[in-house]
Amino acid sequence: MDVAFLFLMVIGFLMLGVPIAISLGLSSIVFLMIFSDSSLGSIAQTLFNAYAGHFTLLAIPFFILASTFMSTGGVARRIIRFAVACVGHFQGGLAIAGVFACMLFAALSGSSPATVVAIGTIVIAGMRQVGYTKDFAAGVICNAGTLGILIPPSIVMVVYASAVDVSVGRMFLAGVIPGLLAGLMLMIGIYVVAKVRGLPAQDWPGLWLGLKEILISGLHAFFGLLLIVIILGGIYGGIFTPTEAAAVAAVYAFFIANFVYRDMGPLKGEGDVRHSFFKRPYTLITVFFHPDTKHSLLEAGKTTIMLLFIIGNALILKHVLTEEQIPQTIAAAMLDAGFGPIMFLVIVNVILLIGGQFMEPSGLIVIVAPLVFPIAIELGIDPIHLGIIMVVNMEIGMITPPVGLNLFVTSGVAGMPMIRVVKAALPWLGIMFIFLILVTYIPWLSTAIPNALMGPEIIIR
Amino acid sequence: MHVEPKTKLGRVVNNIEETLIALILGLMTIVTFANVVARALDSNILWALETTVYLFAWLVLIGASYCVKTRAHLGVDVVLNIVSPGVRRLLAIFSISACLAFSVLLLIGSWNYWAPFAALPQLDGTVRDQAFYIVDDIPMPEFLRFLEDAINQGETYDKLPKLIPYVALPIGVLLLNIRFLQLAWQILTGEADRIITSHEAEDLVEEAAAKADKEG
Repeated sequence: MDVAFLFLMVIGFLMLGVPIAISLGLSSIVFLMIFSDSSLGSIAQTLFNAYAGHFTLLAIPFFILASTFMSTGGVARRIIRFAVACVGHFQGGLAIAGVFACMLFAALSGSSPATVVAIGTIVIAGMRQVGYTKDFAAGVICNAGTLGILIPPSIVMVVYASAVDVSVGRMFLAGVIPGLLAGLMLMIGIYVVAKVRGLPAQDWPGLWLGLKEILISGLHAFFGLLLIVIILGGIYGGIFTPTEAAAVAAVYAFFIANFVYRDMGPLKGEGDVRHSFFKRPYTLITVFFHPDTKHSLLEAGKTTIMLLFIIGNALILKHVLTEEQIPQTIAAAMLDAGFGPIMFLVIVNVILLIGGQFMEPSGLIVIVAPLVFPIAIELGIDPIHLGIIMVVNMEIGMITPPVGLNLFVTSGVAGMPMIRVVKAALPWLGIMFIFLILVTYIPWLSTAIPNALMGPEIIIR
Repeated sequence: MHVEPKTKLGRVVNNIEETLIALILGLMTIVTFANVVARALDSNILWALETTVYLFAWLVLIGASYCVKTRAHLGVDVVLNIVSPGVRRLLAIFSISACLAFSVLLLIGSWNYWAPFAALPQLDGTVRDQAFYIVDDIPMPEFLRFLEDAINQGETYDKLPKLIPYVALPIGVLLLNIRFLQLAWQILTGEADRIITSHEAEDLVEEAAAKADKEG
């Protein structure tokens, strides 16, 4: 049981507080030194090629950068105003608008915690002012924030696509229906609770003023939301690759944040003052040297390094697993045991839900995806469908204790103790579980759009 | 965690690190974007893709040490949070030893992998001369021509020799070793009690909380 030793090492290191990246890398190195004759040089090579050899992963820093520029406050505020204008007048309207805003922001950002921070900071405070309890507000946003990785663009999807060699474009398209469905289910849940508990609705200012507000706020949010149109349109129009789309998105977000919304950079004045570009055209040059630009690049760079250092070391572990033919062994064992697709998917769900407790989602996907992928193909499960199942599992992992990432973030943003956030998120977690079951057993939800737009997936065994 | 360097040298180094990270990410974005624009104009920047990919490797490998300094590496702190300070200290010592074991082994591997590209001996003294290895697309800059006489027996390099992009590996891992050693010292002197952060958004949350406090 060499492999059991390998995984015990990883889990042991993790539990004792060794950084995730080092746990993965060191376990692999120790394993190779004991059980195989690969050289340390080849491990170094694997690490370098993790970055230099995976063009798909290159999309991640660009998506993070785009999201950093888009998170400068102003964009989130405009999206929330638009969301409130659209659905605020329903009973429980502000909470429903919060979910809607999370969905919209998820379309600009590939990360869930970023979504919670951007939307949560504003919406949770707003909800308390109009009479919601803090727990209700935090629970809703904590759950809706997980849509960040399901609604494209999504960093976790890029990692999955890169780990098993499927198209990023397909994965992004596949996330659309499940993303909308999850948002809708949360909204319906809120509406029901609102009816029962008699939660407040926003005043509907009459049809004309209401439509006007939707139009005006929509126009304000438009430049931000155009980002997702550029990304998806560019990829499916064949204008650029997903990686290039991400870079274009980053450049676009940079210009929108600096020159249209002006919430950062040289045109941002004191307080609410915004300078006109036409009076200061030289800012087109100076913007590149503005401290805000460097700050955003550094923040995005740090997140990239942290994430990719884990992924790089996870790829070393993956290298070990493939070299030892572990995926094939496991596949054979499972097929011999007579597991059908349904049982297999249950097992995948359980592994991911447990693993998601302790591991960073991207790192977990790099390790688990290659293990389960060959079995899924044998059992005739669509790789894109499998990917969406994994992403939804990661979402749920983010909101289940003890290590749910979104729980931490919400607890920080709402200023609530962790245990209260856990309780607050629990009822909505039920909805996400029902959603997971739907996504797992109705492949159509994931595959309909990509197959319709890009033709059926061709699987080469 | 935000780290304020205490000494003047610390500030200079910190500034270099932060500028380098920002600069590399900025360059990657601009080069990739420029290539999209070039293609729209029916042209093509041949070396764009390869350059970006190598910059990417530079970003992560060189930046990993900066993330040790700022405690930005993720880990699981469930156990750390429930044990007594004494046990926590022992665990921290164990963790940093594991990190050092990793970085030392990786440094050996990095040197052995890179040295042949520069015609330098590997750690066991063997010289496998691979100095003639070149990259696929990036042209040879004139100021590096001295390398031809220095390591390539006077032969002309058509493209950038591999030793340039791959040097990120030994340099980055060496820096990683230095930062881990520093951290080990801080743990032994009781200045630090852990080497990880529990989640990736700690900075974001701190900022948000500070903002909320300010606005009351």
